[in-house]
Amino acid sequence: MGGLLAALPVGAMAHQMVVFASVDCEAVTVEAKFSNGNAVQQADVRVLDGDNGLQTTLPIDTDGTVMVPLDSVDHSGGLVIEVDTGSHDNYWIVTPEDIAKSCQS
Amino acid sequence: MRRLSKSLFAAGLMLFVGTLASAQDRAQIVAVNYPLRFLAEQLAGDAADVTFPVPQDVDPSFWRPSISDISAVQAADLILLNGAGFATWVDRVSLPRSKLVNTSAAIEDQFIVTESITHSHGDGDTHSHEGLASYVWLDPGLGIAQAQAIAAALTARGLAPEDEVTARLATLTTELESLDAAAQSALRDLLGATLIATHPRYHYFARRYGMSVLSMEWEAGAMPDDGQLAELEALAAQSDATVLIWEAQPPDAALDATRALGLRNVVFPPLAHAVEGQTFLQGFTQALSDLADVAGQ
Repeated sequence: MGGLLAALPVGAMAHQMVVFASVDCEAVTVEAKFSNGNAVQQADVRVLDGDNGLQTTLPIDTDGTVMVPLDSVDHSGGLVIEVDTGSHDNYWIVTPEDIAKSCQS
Repeated sequence: MRRLSKSLFAAGLMLFVGTLASAQDRAQIVAVNYPLRFLAEQLAGDAADVTFPVPQDVDPSFWRPSISDISAVQAADLILLNGAGFATWVDRVSLPRSKLVNTSAAIEDQFIVTESITHSHGDGDTHSHEGLASYVWLDPGLGIAQAQAIAAALTARGLAPEDEVTARLATLTTELESLDAAAQSALRDLLGATLIATHPRYHYFARRYGMSVLSMEWEAGAMPDDGQLAELEALAAQSDATVLIWEAQPPDAALDATRALGLRNVVFPPLAHAVEGQTFLQGFTQALSDLADVAGQ
């Protein structure tokens, strides 16, 4: 059985870190936690544009959150938020429609 | 003559505009796997365009969509989820709740819990997570439940005429029941048998037809390395299994290597993607036939 477990792909384990991002027209707030509820305390947060171009990389705060001001990135084609702890990674996709909707409400 | 030409042109123009309007009026449905696309197409008929956006060479369980992919999904009238943890991308985007349909919500009590994954986070203790087997459609009875969920969603949202959906659901149910009966008959020699699979796809299929399946984590269609072959040999020895199920056609050398271990090989596509040139029912029937042939050898 040990061999079977060792053969599991990285992706099968990576989904155990949960990433969520919300938009409020001025900023994207990113939250990352492990599936046991513990906040991610050390991770790189990469912000990519609609063409997968890297816009910025930020360290996550010790409470597992980080704020990305919308005026600091080109968000016209949407954003992909990647969180990488080194052993776990996950992402959240923010579409242009998500951003537009957040500015209407 | 000129008047006749004008009339014909006008009639053709009206037909073209009518067709265009009809296409634009059709409901737009997105499915997270091919079986759900197939079921939705059968149930909606001409009332909807059903898309399954995952490229053929990508595992739809672990597809990473682009931003434009998600924009298109968000604009759909209906988004068909498989449930049971299938398609991890749906938990990484904002999707409108009013358009989401979890097609396996009514069968959650029949889900199969899979083995734990043991690991640790940083300096934390080693621990494990349980998962769910997600290829529910390989049990046609569960596929019928998914079809019922889609039919209910289509009619509740007024996306297709209720009487037509009801009639199509009856036909589809009959077809899936026939498939189930054919499987019961074709696989009777495998009742109680243990099989080995190159990937954990066949939990519901095996349970439905009275078999046990031991799963490995081999890359689909790839040549196994020496370590993987040793793992397979050990599994075969401990289980007395004699049939190895591949989810995709491997190289001939792989078939030779596993044959040398005393195993009979069969390719059984799990149908998360369509098999080229075959519908869901045709692909399933072909796989059943191939498995029955191997079992009878």
